[in-house]
Amino acid sequence: MMKRLILFLCSLCALCLSASAYDGGIKAKVVARQGRAPIAGAVVSLYSGQDLLSSQKTGAEGDFLFPDLKDGAYTLEVEADDYNSTRINVVVEQGLIRDLMFVTLSPARVRTEDVDASSFAEFDLDDSGYSDAPTILYGANDVYTDVVGYGFSAIRFKNRGYNSESQDVYLAGVPMNDAITGYSPYSLWSGLNEAMRAKDTSIGLEGSDWGNGRYNGMTNITALPSAVRPGWRFSVLSNSALYRLRLMATYASGELDNGWSYAVNASARLGGNDWVEGVYYRSFALYAGVGKRINDEHKISLMAFATPGQRGAQNASTQEVYDLMGDNMYNSNWGYQNGKVRNSRVRKTFEPVVALRYDYTPSDEFSAGATILYRCGYNGYTALDWYDAMDPRPDYYRNLPSYYYLEDEDYNRSNPEKAEWAKYAWTNHSKEFANYQHLNWDRLYNVNYNNPNGRSKYALEERRVDQRDLNLALNLKWLPTEAFNLKAGANFKVNRTENYKLLNDLLGGQYYLNIDSFAERDFASNEALVQNDLDYFLANGKAESITQGGKYGYDYLAQIRRANLWANGTYRKGGFVATLAGTVGYEAFWRDGLVRKGLFAGLDDNGKEIVYEGRTLTSYDDNGKVITSKGKSELSSFLTYSAKLGLAYELIGGHRFSANIGYFNDAPTFNQAFISARTRNTLVDGLTTVKTTSADVNYQFTNGGYSLRLTGFYTGIKDQSDVMSFYDDSQQSFTNFAMTGIDQRHLGLEFGVKVPLFVQGLSLSAVLSLGEYVYTSNPNMVQTIDNSAEVIRSESVPYWKSHPVYKVASYTDEGAAIYDQDAAGNYIVESEKKHYVPSTPQLASAIELNYRTNDYWFFELGGQYFAHSYLDMNPLYRTHLACGGGDGVETPAEVEYMAAQEEFNPAFVLNCSVGKSWQIQRKYYLGFSLEVNNMLNNRNIKTGGYEQTRLISSYGKDRYYRFDPKYFYMQGANYMLNIYFRF
Amino acid sequence: MGKTLKYTLLSSLLCLSAFSCTSIKEEFQPVFSGNENPPHQQVVTMTPTHTIAELASLYKTGSPWKIDKNIVISGIVSTTDQPGNFYKSFYIQDETGGMEIKIGKNGLYNDYLPGQRIYVDCRELCLGMYGYKSGTAYGNGMVQIGFSDPTGEYETSYLESSLLIDSHVFKGEIGPEVEPVVVPESSLPASTATQATSHYVGKLVTVKNLTYGWYDTRYKEQNEAFALLYLNSNQNKKLSSNRIFISGAGTGINTWAMSKEKMAEYLYSGVWDEVSIGNANDYNYGKVGDYRNVDAQGKVSYPGIEKAAASVSHYFSTPNGTCIQVRTSGFSKFADKAIPESVLNGSAKVEVTGILALYQGKIQMVVNDISDIKVVE
Repeated sequence: MMKRLILFLCSLCALCLSASAYDGGIKAKVVARQGRAPIAGAVVSLYSGQDLLSSQKTGAEGDFLFPDLKDGAYTLEVEADDYNSTRINVVVEQGLIRDLMFVTLSPARVRTEDVDASSFAEFDLDDSGYSDAPTILYGANDVYTDVVGYGFSAIRFKNRGYNSESQDVYLAGVPMNDAITGYSPYSLWSGLNEAMRAKDTSIGLEGSDWGNGRYNGMTNITALPSAVRPGWRFSVLSNSALYRLRLMATYASGELDNGWSYAVNASARLGGNDWVEGVYYRSFALYAGVGKRINDEHKISLMAFATPGQRGAQNASTQEVYDLMGDNMYNSNWGYQNGKVRNSRVRKTFEPVVALRYDYTPSDEFSAGATILYRCGYNGYTALDWYDAMDPRPDYYRNLPSYYYLEDEDYNRSNPEKAEWAKYAWTNHSKEFANYQHLNWDRLYNVNYNNPNGRSKYALEERRVDQRDLNLALNLKWLPTEAFNLKAGANFKVNRTENYKLLNDLLGGQYYLNIDSFAERDFASNEALVQNDLDYFLANGKAESITQGGKYGYDYLAQIRRANLWANGTYRKGGFVATLAGTVGYEAFWRDGLVRKGLFAGLDDNGKEIVYEGRTLTSYDDNGKVITSKGKSELSSFLTYSAKLGLAYELIGGHRFSANIGYFNDAPTFNQAFISARTRNTLVDGLTTVKTTSADVNYQFTNGGYSLRLTGFYTGIKDQSDVMSFYDDSQQSFTNFAMTGIDQRHLGLEFGVKVPLFVQGLSLSAVLSLGEYVYTSNPNMVQTIDNSAEVIRSESVPYWKSHPVYKVASYTDEGAAIYDQDAAGNYIVESEKKHYVPSTPQLASAIELNYRTNDYWFFELGGQYFAHSYLDMNPLYRTHLACGGGDGVETPAEVEYMAAQEEFNPAFVLNCSVGKSWQIQRKYYLGFSLEVNNMLNNRNIKTGGYEQTRLISSYGKDRYYRFDPKYFYMQGANYMLNIYFRF
Repeated sequence: MGKTLKYTLLSSLLCLSAFSCTSIKEEFQPVFSGNENPPHQQVVTMTPTHTIAELASLYKTGSPWKIDKNIVISGIVSTTDQPGNFYKSFYIQDETGGMEIKIGKNGLYNDYLPGQRIYVDCRELCLGMYGYKSGTAYGNGMVQIGFSDPTGEYETSYLESSLLIDSHVFKGEIGPEVEPVVVPESSLPASTATQATSHYVGKLVTVKNLTYGWYDTRYKEQNEAFALLYLNSNQNKKLSSNRIFISGAGTGINTWAMSKEKMAEYLYSGVWDEVSIGNANDYNYGKVGDYRNVDAQGKVSYPGIEKAAASVSHYFSTPNGTCIQVRTSGFSKFADKAIPESVLNGSAKVEVTGILALYQGKIQMVVNDISDIKVVE
């Protein structure tokens, strides 16, 4: 926009003749790019060549006027707090006052000049059981997003309670959300903060130039080489929360006179951290881009980037384990090998992305562009695999004292002496007991050494999800008048993702046998049924021996095709803005099994049943359809669409009122569509689109350093589905659980305010997010035995959205409740206790004191308070089965115990930061920032976790007890120091 | 400005080097990717204080003994849980007898190899018997090493806790697997025997000349196979209403045991429809056939009867009519292997190699694998 303006002015300049009048001038209004809010107090400096002629501050409406100028060329420099400064060349001619109308400033994306500490965290959340996404990206000049976007990442705050997959992330105009899961794929460019810094962000229901988005904001990362900040830049970062060291170097040319632009960004992230043993980074990142502008109309950019490397992951454990270890940061994933720490769960990725972008700008009224983007490479995640050998995990429940003894006799765990032995092994933290508290790699190797023929009983598998993702995005922008503009586009995606296991490490053995140890639990005596690759078995008479690097276990393709057309139009009149947006799309997916599994042999290539040693392996479902693992599944296809309406009204003085409403009909994702994609082609019954209705109303105020936003929102999401697989003790089997019709409602307020205080440079910010995110339906569930596809239960999950609280008549001497009954003997329900959307505080607030000096020091001190965060629920505990126990009789005590949802304790966190930058010889800039988070070193803040699905049968087998849930905790006090140098 | 800059740089460098002091290499190579195999574990040598027979002689019927003396026994591992017929424990044997060590973990053959010498430091462990039943028709079970069971349900419990195991059960040299010895019929142990009185008890032995089926002269009935099933294993297994005893002759069971799949096959065939539900003195819960349901498509089901793997004891007789049960787990890999017709109809005899055990005074042979049962035509 700015460049076009400059070009326009330059061309005027060429036409102009010098004149000698002195009554000319320049006037304009300085406004923010987004929302065109006036910027008061911006400093406007007028230069003629290198000489500063005059300087003034803009008025309340952002207006300024330089009168009494003689004809000639001038340069304006406009600077304002929180905005990127800009320079404009202006020609005054014929003694007229040039009215530039608007000078727009884009918001500074970092909190203080050149501190990239904040953007550090947005891309670097580790994957300790979470999706790799920041809470929200930096928005426009918005206090709320500024504080929340970075400051709430440690608590795993989810904006408005939404899942990460509802956040639309585009790169160079291409929707990048994962085709299989919908997750926003930040890990693709983590470590490339500089190259990916330029972006357009909208929040909530707002749309953008690149697409209509949905209800949880939309971000387009520009990624073009010409958008990378020009110059050299080097930084060294050290922190104690994730990894020790990050080194980063960037060079960008900016757009050169000859139209070329180049940019390179490289980084390395290395080392461990102070809190979680075994978690480490050895990640590298490289971005290279080249662009060429051809005669103002055409611009071609080519970018490629990748982030090869590996990261050690963290695991959740039960509170019992944390207490035994005296450490809520205990990580059960690692152990000693040869006396050195080795992590069993390592994410190994190399997923290069190449994009070619073409921009066509024939006129100021019309522009269009196209991007082709291709993503490939591999994404692996290692884990221990074992066959017919002891569970090697140190925190396996049978290794814990609670497995041997619990005070409540009804648990039937009654050997206190054995519990003492287990406790002794966990609580003695000298080296000789390390093998009881951590993985014992040396033992795993020795088991393999000793097995006849070199067969490995323990191995390290690598679960691979290898994507081939080809995208085409087209977009156009038409601005026929000041009052009306139209943006439209189309996106196409072809995704082929191979899911399989690789044998990463045989741990001292020679080979691993390709059989299914879970199937063997049920079918030990039927050799064909336990085969992972039945075709190999039938051809060779034995199971395949897998060597290092071999594929085994499962192997299937997820095939996804997606097309979307979108358009949005904006109409402005006076302070009134209306936007209407619509999207229509088609999505199809299917599974393509590449191996034949013994359990679900299906029909052979000639359509005949498969028989082995007199037993028919081919099996059928209740509808008489063959259950098959190999070949193509049925195709699932969905028509998707969405519509949005936005209205805004801007008043003079910096007030803005807006309201948005939208309806979305989205396809379910592949990973929620198959009952057990690992093993078979069976689709979830009743799969349908997810329907979302969302609305928000906003009030914004920006003036004189004050900034405020208040938003109220409502979102109703209907017909979500979910699948999971777990061991069900009541079935003594590994089972699949498919849930459909999961509805939830998100209702809440967002508030952010920034107030300048009495000392210049001092300001106070406060934010509040207060919501109620609840489940509003009892979904349907179908439970099947993983080994046979037999449907064992198909009903609703009765205590999913809430559970009853029964009326208590009195208490026994031991404190147990005696429940009141009505005349008919029924228990009396007093109220229903709601169940909440988990893993995010429903009340999150922060207050921050911010001080920056004229010589580029800044200081920040902030306090955060979080409450009403809930534990993720497993559906099994909300069924009649689990609440009824072995005798099938549900009592109030059982329901209130089994169906309840845990609420985490509220948490208070104190953070501070300090930074400074220096200019050296007017050419070099050196700066640092230091942050200390969680200064009070609070190590008892739960950030998430999950319930196990296991059940303990009571002594009399009349009721079930739960296994303890597993938690993740926020790290204690940690620092981050960043030093940078640029020129 | 210069000063501030200097201090900042200096303090940041100090910060960086503070942790670097420990070891830069460790900081940036915090974990190890496993390219170096760990050494082979060292084996131990200990001096046993007692033979297995000597230890067994310290057991008094009905009184599990929490061992409070320094007793070390030693023996060679004679069993394997690999084919799944032994589960969570193994036997060791010396010249005087064999004894089960109730470890309580699965996949034991990976850590305690057949043929490996094992030392058991018995202090703190518990010596007890499993399978004793009083009465003239019954007798001893097996003296075992386990841990105390405060519930009193069994005389011993499994060791289970890793530290408990590792501080009492030690691994010695790995040698050749145990060679079975042939037991002449005359040397078969009496119902009152233990390792202390018969050096065959608990050892890997071969018994020859066995004919299928055993006639119980006391109750005057032919016994061929025995299995105990539960209607619902999530409910109390001791309730009579939850139990189905398949026993006697004509049980229809012609496999060594039954996997879940095979059990369902037997059930659906209707061969057990006439079997009563409940304990022998309490047949008040109807018959298996009462649960039979046939839908419109002719599909048979037995809702309410759980499909689950089940262990089976098959009865054999020595030439002189001594009962030898061959007991096989439903979870073993050979559970569904058919017993040859020639064996079932008595035209062929078998030769069984396994652990010679006593259960309620009767001899039970527990084989390691199906190859330990040889058919002699």
